[in-house]
Amino acid sequence: MRRWMLMALALAAPASAQTGQSLGQTLAQRSPAKTYASICAYCHGHNVGPIILGRKLPVEYIQAMVRAGRNGMPAMRPTEISPAELDALAVWISKAPKDTKEHGQ
Amino acid sequence: MSGATIDRRGLLGAGVAATIGIAGQAMAQGAVLAPGVSKADLAAALKAMRAVVGDAWVAGDAESLRPWSKSYTPDPTGRHAPVGAVAPDNVEQVQAILKIANQYRQPLWPVSTGKNMGYGSTTTAAPGQIILDLKRMNRILSVDTELCTALVEPGVTYQQMRDYLDEHNIPLWIDVPTVGPIVGPVGNTLDRGVGYTPYGEHFMVQCGMEVVMANGDILKTGMGSTKNPSAWQAFKWGYGPYLDGIFTQSNFGVVTKMGLWLMPAPPVYKPLVVRHKKMEDVARITDAMRPLRIAGIVPNVVLMMGAAYQLAMFHRRGEVTTKPAQVSDEEIAQFAAQHDLGMWNTYIALYGTPAQVAESERIIRGAFAAIDGDVMTQEQMKDNPWFHHHATLMRGGLSLEEVGLARWKGAGGGLAWFAPVAPAKGSETQGQIDLAKQILARHGFDYTAAFAVGMRELHHIIALLYDKSDPAEEKRADDCYRELVTGFGDRGWCSYRTGVHAMDLVAAQYGDTNRAVNAAIKQALDPNHILAPGKSGIA
Repeated sequence: MRRWMLMALALAAPASAQTGQSLGQTLAQRSPAKTYASICAYCHGHNVGPIILGRKLPVEYIQAMVRAGRNGMPAMRPTEISPAELDALAVWISKAPKDTKEHGQ
Repeated sequence: MSGATIDRRGLLGAGVAATIGIAGQAMAQGAVLAPGVSKADLAAALKAMRAVVGDAWVAGDAESLRPWSKSYTPDPTGRHAPVGAVAPDNVEQVQAILKIANQYRQPLWPVSTGKNMGYGSTTTAAPGQIILDLKRMNRILSVDTELCTALVEPGVTYQQMRDYLDEHNIPLWIDVPTVGPIVGPVGNTLDRGVGYTPYGEHFMVQCGMEVVMANGDILKTGMGSTKNPSAWQAFKWGYGPYLDGIFTQSNFGVVTKMGLWLMPAPPVYKPLVVRHKKMEDVARITDAMRPLRIAGIVPNVVLMMGAAYQLAMFHRRGEVTTKPAQVSDEEIAQFAAQHDLGMWNTYIALYGTPAQVAESERIIRGAFAAIDGDVMTQEQMKDNPWFHHHATLMRGGLSLEEVGLARWKGAGGGLAWFAPVAPAKGSETQGQIDLAKQILARHGFDYTAAFAVGMRELHHIIALLYDKSDPAEEKRADDCYRELVTGFGDRGWCSYRTGVHAMDLVAAQYGDTNRAVNAAIKQALDPNHILAPGKSGIA
């Protein structure tokens, strides 16, 4: 049962939500949607951090927040979110529409 | 150094540490250097490290070091901030960095994913250290679907593990601590952290390590050094003294690979919560739980969550009380009742075939009916966010909801875990609660706590929540934590783990002989003391 559920989940996930990591390889650059889902979305729009999608936040502001981690937010090092990932992520968050599935403050 | 307490005033004031200048220096402004290391040594070490890993993966100035300097733990004098960071991509680079560190006597502070939140993140126990950031080493090296094992590098997160297993349709579970997505098995296991499935005691399900020693030698523990290491992830002990333990909560080597066991996804997973209404119920919950844990009828690491801790995850203090003094049990009880929570909310889960789960549930319901506990199921709790959170954790699901704790006292994001251990006996509980409340109240903090019941032991997990944006409150939090360590230590309740701000003080609770043995091992394995001096109170 569980096996089939996992397979269904894997099949349903869009390619941008996959890491495509192979054994013995380091994690390749993730799509902004995957980076957001793997890190940001666990707090933002999920009861913990403020909603940040659909607010047209400035790209530079997002980049600075990710690296500095203001207040309760952890700071993300370039070893966690690479410079290239952060560039793409900040643009993606800035342009993203509101996600109606997100909730919280 | 054995048995001696590192005195921060001594380090800062007695001239054993130099201070980096401000203008024109490509280094952290005003940072304190490690004893015996000059500005020129640090600059030369960083330059040599750039040659190993490339400019992009060395940080040496305040701006680029900012993400390595963020911490939730109290640091009123700023002595825990690193002076640099270097991020290797592979074991050969780790060896080259250790060689440079030995040459310049420049200490390194290794981190895996660096998200040990409330324990120091990527800040250091003693001043002047360069973070050896292993996060880029994030290879999943093997997953054996027959033995249900994996071999991973330090930078692998639980999110990566989950993604790999899902993308390859492998029906194995992972076991995560409360901040699973951004932390990983190596760092959490090496800090002897826990999760909440039957594989929750992470060091128990660890199997085999590769360790780069301070002199650059590569040690493979257990079966890893045999001519055919096919049992490296299958048999923990190998031959002779068991070495893996000395690389946990220590500074004796840099772990670059670690094996772990993974749990097969069970046919049935049934999470439950047992609610109790009164603070003093904790003693009888503990006594009811102990035989169930010892017999394995409750197979997972059990959390007995106090209502205040639960509320602090999703609510702010101002919603519960308007008073600055310690929030009262009555205020907490009233707010908790409005949110379908007990004063104690004990989360357990059952795993197995339908018949196994049904029989265990029957026994558990009997045990808790005898002590007035409400045993509630997923169907009954519906979309209760706390039940959902713990039901997620107890199946190894990923969540960062507990980060919300850092906002309880305001925007400042201050959190330090104090986690003393006692035997799992009800008689050990009330005295601890009374003592914790007294000390916390004296410094103006709330009692936001849980207990975790392991195989035989009781962890008291106290979240010291404070506003780090207020310097006076940060100082009070530091003082409060120290009083908790010594006050509990005097009664023999000592921490199983602590943050960088209190490692020396916690080590002192375990006595001089312990410290002398650790110091002797350190001297033998790392004579230049380049690996994380101060970690677990080992200089």
